[in-house]
Amino acid sequence: MKRTVRHGLLPIVLLSLLLSGCATNHVTKADEFPGMYEEQPRSLLILPPINESTDVEAKAYYMTTVEVPFALSGYYVFPVEMVSDIMKQEGVYDTEVLYQVPHEKFREYFGADAVLYTRIKKWDLSYMVIASSLTVSIESEIVSTESSQQLWKYTGTVVVDLSGGNAGGGVAGLIAQAIVTAVNTAAADYVDYARVANTRLIGTLPVGPYHEMYMKDQGVQIVDQTPGE
Amino acid sequence: MVRCHWAKEIVAIAAPLFFAGCTTQPSLYNYEDYSSSYYNSVKTPGDETKLKLQQSMEKAIETAGESRSGRVPPGMYANLGYLYLKQGESAKAIEMFNREKTVYPEATQFMDRVIQKAELVESDSK
Repeated sequence: MKRTVRHGLLPIVLLSLLLSGCATNHVTKADEFPGMYEEQPRSLLILPPINESTDVEAKAYYMTTVEVPFALSGYYVFPVEMVSDIMKQEGVYDTEVLYQVPHEKFREYFGADAVLYTRIKKWDLSYMVIASSLTVSIESEIVSTESSQQLWKYTGTVVVDLSGGNAGGGVAGLIAQAIVTAVNTAAADYVDYARVANTRLIGTLPVGPYHEMYMKDQGVQIVDQTPGE
Repeated sequence: MVRCHWAKEIVAIAAPLFFAGCTTQPSLYNYEDYSSSYYNSVKTPGDETKLKLQQSMEKAIETAGESRSGRVPPGMYANLGYLYLKQGESAKAIEMFNREKTVYPEATQFMDRVIQKAELVESDSK
């Protein structure tokens, strides 16, 4: 019985990946994010994220994962380290005050067409007796510095089952379980899964001017995350 | 035969899903191991990780021609220039900031601001 369950896992994982992609409501990029196609921002200013998770290190670690994927989707991305340091010097790095700064200020100072706000919703482990899981959840939003309109918003979530298979019952099983969990939750893992979460959410973003598909991806289907639909 | 068909359908469904989410071979830009060295330099700050980060940036710039775009990635010249600036090499830093502007005009306003500050540092040190 147990063997069947273990062997059954991979297809289930694959299937759920597939289903997460197709069994839900779909919309096109153009229908969901028309503002991106109207305003056509060329440059993105990635602001330090707001960390709503329980892990104090999440913010600094997550910041190292955002520059590359947004650049790869065709936008000019302002150098993240420099921007963070400027925010620190201005005393707005660690506060929500940053998110109240009028958008046009970012246009004045950096010449940015749009800003990227990020909330780290989850970056944690949940321990349970039998299973534990790691969750990284990132909510991203692009706002125009010209019109102050929200041009794009999406959430990427990755949940990883850390149970490490079926370690068997009894005390020995629990100890094996604990070891697996400890090994699996090195900090690097969070960053790896944050990258996966980024890939999921950035895949829904209309690509920018440095990408070959610029202004040609209006019809691409994405999973609709708008509530109430 | 039936199995074969089924497999094809899975590939047909899975492939666009996969490609829709990510940029594929050869990448738009060449980053070398910039991402992991940047992360390591934040996780374990120190001279060693900083040097590795600098080397990965220099390598990414060197090999930019092999990427799909043939360009140095956005922000890379600026990031490297900023490292130079923090090491007190303001002339080299200014050169990098200027290159960032040349490749990416979107950076002009910000780079001009940064160059101005770097020039102050440069004239102070003379």
